[in-house]
Amino acid sequence: MDKLAVLTAFLHSIVVYNIPLLYGTVGEITVEKSGSLNLGVEGIMAAGAIFGYIFGCYANSLLVGILAGFAAGALCGLLFALLTVTLQANQNITGLTLTTFGLGLYFFVGNSLKASGWPVMNDFANIKEGFADLSIPLLSDIPLLGKGLFSHNILVYLGIVIAIGMWWYLNKTSLGLRLRAVGENPAAADSVGINVNRSKYLHICLGCGIMGIGGYYMGLNMGGSFNSSCWINGYGWIAVALVIFANWNTALAIVGTFVFGFFNTLRVSGSSLAAAFPGALGWLASIPTQLYQALPFIITAIVLIITSIRNKRGSSGLPAALGLNYYREDR
Amino acid sequence: MHIHIVKRDKLPLWKKCCFYLAAVLAALVLGGVVLLSIGVNPLEYYTRMFTMGTMGNPIAYRVFENYLKDFVPLVLTSVALSLAFKMRFWNIGGEGQFIMGAISAAFVALKLGPSLPNAVTLLLMCLAAMVVAGLYGLLVAALKVRFGTNETLLTLMLNYVALYVLIFLGETKADWNFFLREDSVRPVFASFSDWVKFPAFSLGGRFTLNICVILTVVVGLLVYLYLKKTKQGYEIAVVGDSAGTARYAGMKVNRIVLRTVFLSACLIGLAAAFKVGTAGILSTAITNDVGWTGIIVAWLAQLNTVAIFLVAALICVLHNGSVAAAATFSRVDSSFANMLQGAILFLVLAADFFIRFRVVITKKGGRDNG
Repeated sequence: MDKLAVLTAFLHSIVVYNIPLLYGTVGEITVEKSGSLNLGVEGIMAAGAIFGYIFGCYANSLLVGILAGFAAGALCGLLFALLTVTLQANQNITGLTLTTFGLGLYFFVGNSLKASGWPVMNDFANIKEGFADLSIPLLSDIPLLGKGLFSHNILVYLGIVIAIGMWWYLNKTSLGLRLRAVGENPAAADSVGINVNRSKYLHICLGCGIMGIGGYYMGLNMGGSFNSSCWINGYGWIAVALVIFANWNTALAIVGTFVFGFFNTLRVSGSSLAAAFPGALGWLASIPTQLYQALPFIITAIVLIITSIRNKRGSSGLPAALGLNYYREDR
Repeated sequence: MHIHIVKRDKLPLWKKCCFYLAAVLAALVLGGVVLLSIGVNPLEYYTRMFTMGTMGNPIAYRVFENYLKDFVPLVLTSVALSLAFKMRFWNIGGEGQFIMGAISAAFVALKLGPSLPNAVTLLLMCLAAMVVAGLYGLLVAALKVRFGTNETLLTLMLNYVALYVLIFLGETKADWNFFLREDSVRPVFASFSDWVKFPAFSLGGRFTLNICVILTVVVGLLVYLYLKKTKQGYEIAVVGDSAGTARYAGMKVNRIVLRTVFLSACLIGLAAAFKVGTAGILSTAITNDVGWTGIIVAWLAQLNTVAIFLVAALICVLHNGSVAAAATFSRVDSSFANMLQGAILFLVLAADFFIRFRVVITKKGGRDNG
């Protein structure tokens, strides 16, 4: 194979297979900025994936799939908000249970449907065409990079737009500022007239909805073939890690996605790179794939430790009230 | 009308139990509705599930033996986690600590097992697993105490580091890798069940009781006494209530945290040694998700040691029962148990709210003086 084509394919894979991480991360940042630590990303993405896929196929429309994925995620978020915001339940426990529940739902619905007739993605022309790559004129003609970075399906572009949009929303609008106030110090936010509970509900649902779209995207990436391993396959947990790596900044999350995605893709394409460039990259073939899989978690653990040692409050994006429930009468 | 939420005084135990029982029943009813919607009779399904398919089964004793094999690691992990949770130390790392313990136990079994007597090997397996798992937990506690590192997120990351170490050992064919079978071309974990195994006693009939079950009950009892009757147990309770109070009372809070997290992770290592010593082989799915499920069990049981045994027993029935029932009801996937488990916890969390708080509704615009 052409050597440049190998590199282009490598770049292309980094983007295509890892943008779902960006959805999960941006969604989780939105939730965490409201002061809630939601460990249910994996389950929420799974719920978004299965319902997005099924509704999308039945309606033969990518848009319906995206909306259904969002709705399924947002409903999980509503459950999380109801339990942790209104009913004051512990966030860690609720999130972990949401993961168990979401994965249970995924397999229950999927296996039930498989018995009675699983919808095959390629049978639905609108989904297949809607998910096809769209080239950006001019940019996609750049040699080497063009086809790798600027010729992608619509969900890639949507993910980038959501990440940048959320960055703008969180940092440049007064609503975003209020949300950050809620995540830093809900009692203070409450005292200046911000409706803390409404803000938490809204952003938990919004963030979880974004995760749901990411889940749907994962399903499409897998070609919609349902088997014993879940489509999400741990990406939800990597997203939780990526939030820390990106320092709770959705624009940095794009960079983080490509960094994690780089290792993720090396795991898959390392051998083809090694074959194309035996002199320079031949050593890639001898690295165990498990190292690539563990790297996101190792890097994040190191980032967590280093930031806590430097312990410069203010420079860290970690919301101060993260994980703590707000009970108004305790003020 | 104005809705107002007020903290409640302590409810009597029987009222609490009523709330929780109602929550579990509500979850079962919800599950029943789901079953009905796919055309399965919920009563028949639940009967099959809760009896785990033992009715009219000539090898029912096997079902109970397998049930206990799942129960032991889960309940022990859950008891261990409850120690850390009592101090509000969020040890989400049960999976990772379990895996580290399992690898260490297998290491001892494979390296020393052939040359040592069974009992000595088993003892060394338990010790190795406890020390290694304990250190894996202690590392996080030390960082938390020294630098304030977020333990929830760090233990979460370390779970996956441990998991990929295990997968690496399981999938890498190499001369140094004694964890794998030598006579197989494909990577397969080596079995050591021929020379090391926890003994099981016959209780008359064909049912055999593994010694791990007895040891688990003993450990549970010891932890119960430790928490209720010893000074160290009291210290854990005080730190959990308020670290500030504990410090004011002259307790060395950091030392208590380090000690307790080490103990918590040690017990998870012991659970892993029991699991590995019973299975006689490693596997990449060795944890059976006990690190996750254990958290849910501990929380459902309100961190009460006795209640943990009951809840773990129930959760194991759900899991084993759904697998058994899937054989008869092919339309109900065994993942139904996970959904049901989730629904139970959600409803118990909701019930918890009504136990801790009271909802008062007052009319707006002045008091009603009658």
